[in-house]
Amino acid sequence: MARNLEDLKYKTSFGKTVLTLIFGVLSVIYIFPIVIVFYNSFKTNDAINTDTFALPRTDTFVGLDNFVKGMTFGNYPFLKSVFYSIVITVLSVLLILLFCSMAAWYLARVDSKFCRFVYYLCVFSMVVPFQMVMFTLAKTADSFFIPLNTPWTIPVIYLGFGAGLAIFMFVGFVKSIPLEIEEAAMMDGCNTLRIYFQVVMPMLKPTLISVGVLQTMWIWNDYLLPYLVLDRTKYMTIPIHIQYLKGSYGSVDLGATMAMIMISIIPIIIFYITCQKYIIKGVAAGAVKG
Amino acid sequence: MTDKKEACAEGESKENLIRQKRNKKQVISGSTVLSKTYSKWFAVFLLPTLIAFTIGFVWPFLRGLYLSFCKFVTTSDAEWVWFDNYVTAFKDASFRYSFFYTALFAIVSLLAINIIAFAVAYALTRGIKGSNLFRTVFFMPNLIGGIVLGYIWSLIFDGILSRFGTSILLDTKYGFLGLLVLMCWQQIGYMMIIYIAGLQNVPEDLIEAAKIDGASGKKILRKIIIPSVMPSITICTFLTLTNSFKLFDQNLALNGGQPFIFQGETVIKTTEMLALNIYNTFYLNVNYRGVGQAKAVLFFVLVAAIGLIQLRATRSKEVQQ
Amino acid sequence: MKKIIALFVVCIMVMSLFVGCGKKNAKGSVYYLNFKPEADAAWQKLARKYTELTGVDVTIVTAAAGAYSETLIAEMDKSKMPTLFQVGKQSDLETWSNYCLDLKDTAVYNEMTTDDFNLFGENGEVKAIGYCYECFGIIVNKALLREAGYEIGDITGFESLKNIAEDITARKNVLGFSAFTSAGLDGSSSWRFSGHLANMPLFFEFRDNNVTSQPAAITGKYLDNYKAIWDLYVNNSTAEKSQLTTKTADESLAEFGEGKAVFYQNGSWEYSNLVGKYGMNPDDLAMIPIYIGVEGEENYTLASGTENCWAVNSKASEADITATLDFIYWVVTSDEGTQMMAEQFGPIPFKNAKQTENVFFNDANRDISQGKKVVTWAFNYTPNVDNWRAGLVAALTQYTVGNGSWNDVVTAFVNGWANEYQNQ
Repeated sequence: MARNLEDLKYKTSFGKTVLTLIFGVLSVIYIFPIVIVFYNSFKTNDAINTDTFALPRTDTFVGLDNFVKGMTFGNYPFLKSVFYSIVITVLSVLLILLFCSMAAWYLARVDSKFCRFVYYLCVFSMVVPFQMVMFTLAKTADSFFIPLNTPWTIPVIYLGFGAGLAIFMFVGFVKSIPLEIEEAAMMDGCNTLRIYFQVVMPMLKPTLISVGVLQTMWIWNDYLLPYLVLDRTKYMTIPIHIQYLKGSYGSVDLGATMAMIMISIIPIIIFYITCQKYIIKGVAAGAVKG
Repeated sequence: MTDKKEACAEGESKENLIRQKRNKKQVISGSTVLSKTYSKWFAVFLLPTLIAFTIGFVWPFLRGLYLSFCKFVTTSDAEWVWFDNYVTAFKDASFRYSFFYTALFAIVSLLAINIIAFAVAYALTRGIKGSNLFRTVFFMPNLIGGIVLGYIWSLIFDGILSRFGTSILLDTKYGFLGLLVLMCWQQIGYMMIIYIAGLQNVPEDLIEAAKIDGASGKKILRKIIIPSVMPSITICTFLTLTNSFKLFDQNLALNGGQPFIFQGETVIKTTEMLALNIYNTFYLNVNYRGVGQAKAVLFFVLVAAIGLIQLRATRSKEVQQ
Repeated sequence: MKKIIALFVVCIMVMSLFVGCGKKNAKGSVYYLNFKPEADAAWQKLARKYTELTGVDVTIVTAAAGAYSETLIAEMDKSKMPTLFQVGKQSDLETWSNYCLDLKDTAVYNEMTTDDFNLFGENGEVKAIGYCYECFGIIVNKALLREAGYEIGDITGFESLKNIAEDITARKNVLGFSAFTSAGLDGSSSWRFSGHLANMPLFFEFRDNNVTSQPAAITGKYLDNYKAIWDLYVNNSTAEKSQLTTKTADESLAEFGEGKAVFYQNGSWEYSNLVGKYGMNPDDLAMIPIYIGVEGEENYTLASGTENCWAVNSKASEADITATLDFIYWVVTSDEGTQMMAEQFGPIPFKNAKQTENVFFNDANRDISQGKKVVTWAFNYTPNVDNWRAGLVAALTQYTVGNGSWNDVVTAFVNGWANEYQNQ
């Protein structure tokens, strides 16, 4: 259809070429900040500060030193942080996708005051500043009867704190699914579980992707929540690890920080590039119907 | 749901719109049979999320609300002081300042992000070469966390401004513009994707018909395209607005509220947004922890109100599909 | 609606059942919330050693830079709360006073050589003990100074310092180095001037007025001297004034380490960086007091004090408190402990302290033995210290780049103090 619009408006290929050029230039500018971090991670600290934009030269190039420095800093193995970051992100996102989509479907389909109340509470939770709940959240996580301060249990907190946005988006999408499909399935003798998992959930795919992307980005980059909640004698995540590159009076090892930033965004960029087709489709479909 | 669809088919008469709205308010779902069958599955479908939601949000939120009326060192060590914290919060000039600053920033960034994102989306649906690549690139900054974004951009702005003998930390103007550029860079991609999806939903036959009737390009944009992408506009404005209000990481890492000035006797951090102001209040001294909590409550009420008003306002303009 | 409320009440009641059932350890263990990320590894190693020796569990958690308050608030709320934590200054003490055990008559307190660095409660309780101390002043590269034709003995006060600095600036191109390192006003560096440098006018004002507790207002009697030294710094520096706003602490350190400047205002804690990272010869290094031209300042030596005090958590269990006191006693008396403290923190005010290699302390000790007095850290009295300093840095920045007048600095200094005092 886009093609159709274009046929009507832009008959000349000249206009298109100009647009392509403009966007080409824009894209380069757009990606530049990430590129800067990339090549600065190979420079000496002084050179990063004084000559931010310059490419590494022979006198400022330090090879992989910054990466080595960043990864061996302190007495906590960096790979362990990476591992826990992955565990927390994957578990939390799976948990959110499964339970929030189920909850959202229930909220959208069951007509009761309670459901509406919960739904609005979820919407409200989206606008609560984290600062308001951070200490009470840390306290709750600590004193709950199963300690929620490990990478294996902290996903419960993420499920709770991330439920607002997820439910908001899922409910929006579920409402756009015609009831007839489910009614037909019920006529055929499907029970509720089968209706959900075999009929509804496959239809939710775009929103699952869209919510998944949003939550992955949030949880992967989140610093303050795991910092306050996790038992830090045993567990760290990448953002927490990066924070420890700073000294007590604010001195920063810029080179190592750049290197660590690079390491923290590379997995997510690879993840994005490999599934970008689905992500973009998912974000689009998930958001618009919501 | 089903009668909503029928109503749509009849056209857009005002009565129907009003009816639709009422329906929306009263019933989220339509079928009572389904509703009844499903409701028995409460424990499977809703309960797990509800428990986590209570642990992760409801309970901490209520405790937080309670603490806003307390003087406290740690959350289990609180002393009830009634409205003292709220009074102090209202008296705080820096809080008032950051409120207006945040509001201004929210409006400007709302307009900037949405207009640019819409324009880019519009251009990319013209079927130009490489539009898939451009989409990928524009979306990329979304993958980076706020603190890191702040660091990257402060490095860039410093690199540029130091050539002119100034710095982003020196001038409120630069601080504002810098944050605006940062937010645009981060968010345009995401909003653009949503707008593209919206634009692809525009009924082509309608446009063709309008063309044949001799409608101008502007008119088509105003009468057909914009109403069809209204759901996208709703979601984008909601997201940009709440994002701007809750903005914290980027603000902290980019310039931390600098430059500071003196207004009367109070230090005003001229680029400090509400969330950062609240955060700083917490650690000023022990008497201010409750004040920070009170500010957070006020902040929450404000954002909730704005968000809901905005949702109402734009939702009412949506065309049912 | 009733149902809804009922359900939530039930939910919350269930929750609150689980809240607040902490567990107690009969044997007693130590949990230290460490302030200094740089010292984390050393602490962990020492803790393991102690556990090996005694079987007592010692947990060390280090707060991320700039997040000690958050961390302490969150950790104190948990079932396993820190038994040993850091209190930096008077305002921290006011916050955590109820959590600080009176350390009077404990074994570790009896090991101390001085009360100078301790924090006291209203009735004289020893609420927190300074476990290390630091000194700051102007670090001098004696080799460069000699190259410029001067000896360290030539600097006897503000006038001579000024003359030498200005002479170096005049011959900057020939000599190839500047007088002072950049006085960066970036967040990583500005505390050197809003804290340490501002300490000088504060200290002498408090000396004149015999101030012994936090004053509600200050007069700014010596602010002209503050201006004089600040102007000297920025006019004779490696960097243009306009660049100072973004210069960082690291850049300033690098300038000194690489021999681009003769003078560098900072503290004893930079010793290891200068000698280690930049490979400077300890014999070329010296630290002189920050002279600002106040009468009688030649009778004073370096500014010494601490922002590092230990407090023992009075709300911890009896067994944990005992274990903690035993642990810190061991740290300041045992060979391993004092060795680590000397390496990480320099001199410590305890009887068994190891000799430190840090030449800056030797400068201070030599002066003291000659009868000079220590400049104390008067800035520990600053009300709402972060806000006050933020205001001062703001005014100083505007003044330095030429957008503001010195009067604004005075306002930030004097009125800012009174205002923050009211607000706290």
